[in-house]
Amino acid sequence: MPDRPVLRVTGAGRARARRALTLVPVVLVCAFLLLPLLVVALSSFNAANNFRFPPEGLSLRWYAEVFGSAQWLDSLGYSLRVALLVVPVVVVLGTLGGYAVGAGNFPGRRALGLLFLSPMAVPGVMVGLALLYQLQRTGLVGSAQGLWLAHLVVTFPFCVRVVAVSAAALDPALPRAARSLGASPLRTFLTVTVPLMRPGIVAGAFLGAVISLGEVAVSVLVAGAGEATVPVRIYSAVQVQLEPTVAAVSTLLLLVSVATIAVLDRTIHVSRFL
Amino acid sequence: MAATRTRDLRGHVAAIVPTAFVVVAFLLPLVGLLLLSLRPTDEMNNVLPGFTGAQYAEVFGTSYLWGSVVESLWLAVRVSLTCLVLAFPLAWYLARSTSAVGKSLVFVITLSPLLTSEVVRSFGWRVVMSGEGPVNVTLQALGLIDESLPLLRSPWTVFLAVVHVLLPFAVLALSASLGAIDNRLLQASADLGAGALRTFRSVVLPLATPGIVAATVIVFSLSMGVYVTPLLVGGANQSLAGLRIQTEAMVAFDQPRAAALSFVLLAVTLAVCGLVGLLGRLAERGRRA
Repeated sequence: MPDRPVLRVTGAGRARARRALTLVPVVLVCAFLLLPLLVVALSSFNAANNFRFPPEGLSLRWYAEVFGSAQWLDSLGYSLRVALLVVPVVVVLGTLGGYAVGAGNFPGRRALGLLFLSPMAVPGVMVGLALLYQLQRTGLVGSAQGLWLAHLVVTFPFCVRVVAVSAAALDPALPRAARSLGASPLRTFLTVTVPLMRPGIVAGAFLGAVISLGEVAVSVLVAGAGEATVPVRIYSAVQVQLEPTVAAVSTLLLLVSVATIAVLDRTIHVSRFL
Repeated sequence: MAATRTRDLRGHVAAIVPTAFVVVAFLLPLVGLLLLSLRPTDEMNNVLPGFTGAQYAEVFGTSYLWGSVVESLWLAVRVSLTCLVLAFPLAWYLARSTSAVGKSLVFVITLSPLLTSEVVRSFGWRVVMSGEGPVNVTLQALGLIDESLPLLRSPWTVFLAVVHVLLPFAVLALSASLGAIDNRLLQASADLGAGALRTFRSVVLPLATPGIVAATVIVFSLSMGVYVTPLLVGGANQSLAGLRIQTEAMVAFDQPRAAALSFVLLAVTLAVCGLVGLLGRLAERGRRA
């Protein structure tokens, strides 16, 4: 259905005034959403040692400090390594799961959808605790494998959800045509169905990457004394004091999210997927 | 609808691997955690074999443990209601605006906190509320206060930061159901002489009930277990269940007790969510009757 202005009343002037009035809360809430993010970005360019507002002079010194620090570089590398290992696996799992939930035709499909989304509904601290207990028994606390598993569990529901929306919009005639032309079910799936679901799969990959790069609630519990990802290191640093280097690292993470949103917005109408 | 779905690789084959993954990586660890919460411990918090309800008895018998669940419940109720109110204008705009640019902009702004790490957002609130941060500086510049206010450790800041973390979920859940409202109904209501408020109360609100229920359930369940944001923004001295679970597990090393507390928290969360769903269904049925 085409979007049309609603609550239209007689008289264009009144309508315009009313529409302008309804924009006020929209702008205010948007400002509330952006405020802390903008402040982080602004304070990362602060030349002074404290968080005085407005910043006293602009400088990139905190970025230089981050890229000169072995600890932050280690964490950046570790975060990227984990994300690179998480994304391909969660994309495969999410594509299969999203297809089953979105386009499948079997009893229990709805229940399966709930099962796939359930890791999202359980508090992170509980997921972390449950995984911690299992990892302790296998001696994997603080290992990259443990963190990898934790990130898979956290990102999986998001991936399933976006692929499922793509899968539900599939035209069933296309795979049927491929089958009637003699393609095997597997070949049909790989050469017809998967390409048709590509927007959802791309969205799932980006969501998986950005969630893995930012994950902290579960990671803190399973990380042990091993290497720390960037968010886990920020988590420890912020509890001690407000270091300007944290602002610089946070701004880098923020840039990754903004780039991801831009990609999601460009490639697909991502609003349909969440 | 079901009959028109594709029958090629009928989905259940595709479901095998992800199902196995969720069962092994998520459900079994949760079952393990449930068993752990039923184990007895010695004085050193070592886990002993056997079964006992002692951990749960301790959770319900110790005021700072069950009190933390009550505290979380109170926070979650306030956060859910606030998120609903704040989410409505954005969701309405996203679902109804005719401006593609405006929609895209609002959408990106809505998503940006969601895709930004919780630590970054919490850090942002720390800076915003710090002694020389923008809030204090603005208030001082306006001459409203002389000394900077200790905003950082205040429960209000924690509340605001949690609302900020969860607001995008409410917006997305609400906008889905607001977008499904037929424009002709709003038109008809206006044509019949109803004002905007009347239309909102008698047409929009009833039709948005599924979205309101979905938004409430998501925001409520996520805020019940939140711990990173309160810890980073408000410090460790708060009695929220998520924080308490984390402390019991990581500081006191009493995992069985942490496990028991987390299942009490989960049970309360599920009960409230069930209640919200039930109320939503009753409201819809009451209207149809």
